Amino acid sequence: MNNANKHPEDELLAAYSAASLPLSQALCISIHLERCPDCGRKLQRLNRVGSELMQQLKPAPAADELKNRLLDRLDSLSEENSEQAHPLPDSTVPRCLQQFVHGNYDDLPWRRVSADIRSVELCRDSNGARVELLKIKPGGSAITHTHLGDEYTVILEGSFSDEAGLYGEGDFLLRGKHDKHTPVASLHRECLCLAVTEGPIQFTGFFSRLMNPFIRRSYA
Amino acid sequence: MVSMANQRSPGDKLTELSASLSLVANNRDKEAFARLFDHYAPLIRAYSLAREPGADLVADELVQEVMTRVWLKADKYNDRLANLNTWIFTLARNCRIDYLRRNSRYLTEIDPTDIFNEIEDDGPGPFQQVQQSRAEESIRAGLKQLPREQAEILTKVYLEGKSHQQASNELKLPLGTVKSRVRLALKKLEVLVVR
Repeated sequence: MNNANKHPEDELLAAYSAASLPLSQALCISIHLERCPDCGRKLQRLNRVGSELMQQLKPAPAADELKNRLLDRLDSLSEENSEQAHPLPDSTVPRCLQQFVHGNYDDLPWRRVSADIRSVELCRDSNGARVELLKIKPGGSAITHTHLGDEYTVILEGSFSDEAGLYGEGDFLLRGKHDKHTPVASLHRECLCLAVTEGPIQFTGFFSRLMNPFIRRSYA
Repeated sequence: MVSMANQRSPGDKLTELSASLSLVANNRDKEAFARLFDHYAPLIRAYSLAREPGADLVADELVQEVMTRVWLKADKYNDRLANLNTWIFTLARNCRIDYLRRNSRYLTEIDPTDIFNEIEDDGPGPFQQVQQSRAEESIRAGLKQLPREQAEILTKVYLEGKSHQQASNELKLPLGTVKSRVRLALKKLEVLVVR
C-alpha cells in the first residue's frame, strides 16, 4: 500500500465534503482520497458534520402532490436510471480523471514546455483555473516559479522533490501566491502529476523571466 | 448498535428510519418509502433553499432527484459505512452539485459525477467505519456550543455551498480568517482526531 503522506489541509477537506469548492480543486482532492485512507476517514467524519447541520435546518414542508407524483412513478423508475459511468476495470487512471483520460496517458496530445517537461491541458474551471497534466523527465526540473494564484498539485506516478520535501504517488501539494519552488523529478522514473493553476505562474530565473509576458498573454 | 437510554432521542428516530430503508431495499415497500419521504423531503427542501432562497421549484426538483436515488440505491446503502442521515446528506450534496452544473451555473466542462463519490457498498473498501454513534453524539453536542462566528462559517460552507473565497467576500473577512475559523470549528467538534 502506498499511503500518501502529504495531505490537503482540514479546511480544504471540509470544503470538499460540503462540495463548496471549485470543481478543479475537488478533482485534485478526489484523486488524493482514492489513495489515502486516513483522509478518507477524516472525510467520513466531515460528512457527518454536514449531515448534522442539515438535520438542524428548519424543515421546509413539501406539498403532498410532490410525494404522490413520485410514489406513482416508482415502478417505472427501476431500470432507466444507471447514469453513472462505469470505471475502466484495469486502468491506472483515477476514476475521477477518466472523464478526461479515456485510455492511456500516452495517447494524450502532449505538448513540449521545456527540455524536461511535457504538458497537456485537460480543461478550464469556471474560476479560470487551468487543469493540466504535467510530465517531468527523470531527474528533470521545472523552472523555478512563483504563482499569481494558488497551485494545487497531486502526484499520479513517480515522485518529485522541491525546497520543502519529497512527494510520492497520491501526495497533495498546495503552493500559494508567494511560494517560490523548483520541483525536480526523481532520477529513476518520470513524474506525472495533475496541476491546477489559478492564475498565470511567474518564472523567476533571469532568462525565463523574459517568458512571462508571453505566458500571461496565453491566459487571457 | 449503541442503545440509547433516553426515550425519543434522535437515535430512536434514526433507527426507525433505517428500518424503513431496509424495507425499501428488501421488499420494495412503498409505505416505508413514504415515511422516509415525510421525514427527509422537508430537510432536503431546506437544504436547497439554503443555497437558493425562494427557489421553491428547484427545491422540489432536488427532493425528486434525491428520493429517486433513495428508491433506486436503497440496496447499496450500508449502515457500517455511514448512518442514514449522512448517506442522505451526501446524496443531496451530489444531486445539488449536479443540478447546478446541468443548469450551467458553472461554466466548466468538469463533470462532478465521479468526483464526489457516493457512499456505496462496493465490498470491503479502504475506508472502514469508525465508532460512529459516539462521534455523532459529540458532533451534535459540539455544534450547539460553537461560537456564533464559527457556526456561521460552517453554515455558509456546508449549507449555502459558499467557497472560502465567497464566504470571505460576503463576510468581509480576510480569506485566512475564514479558513482558520473553519479549522477552529472542526477542532472543537473533534472531527479530525483520528482514533
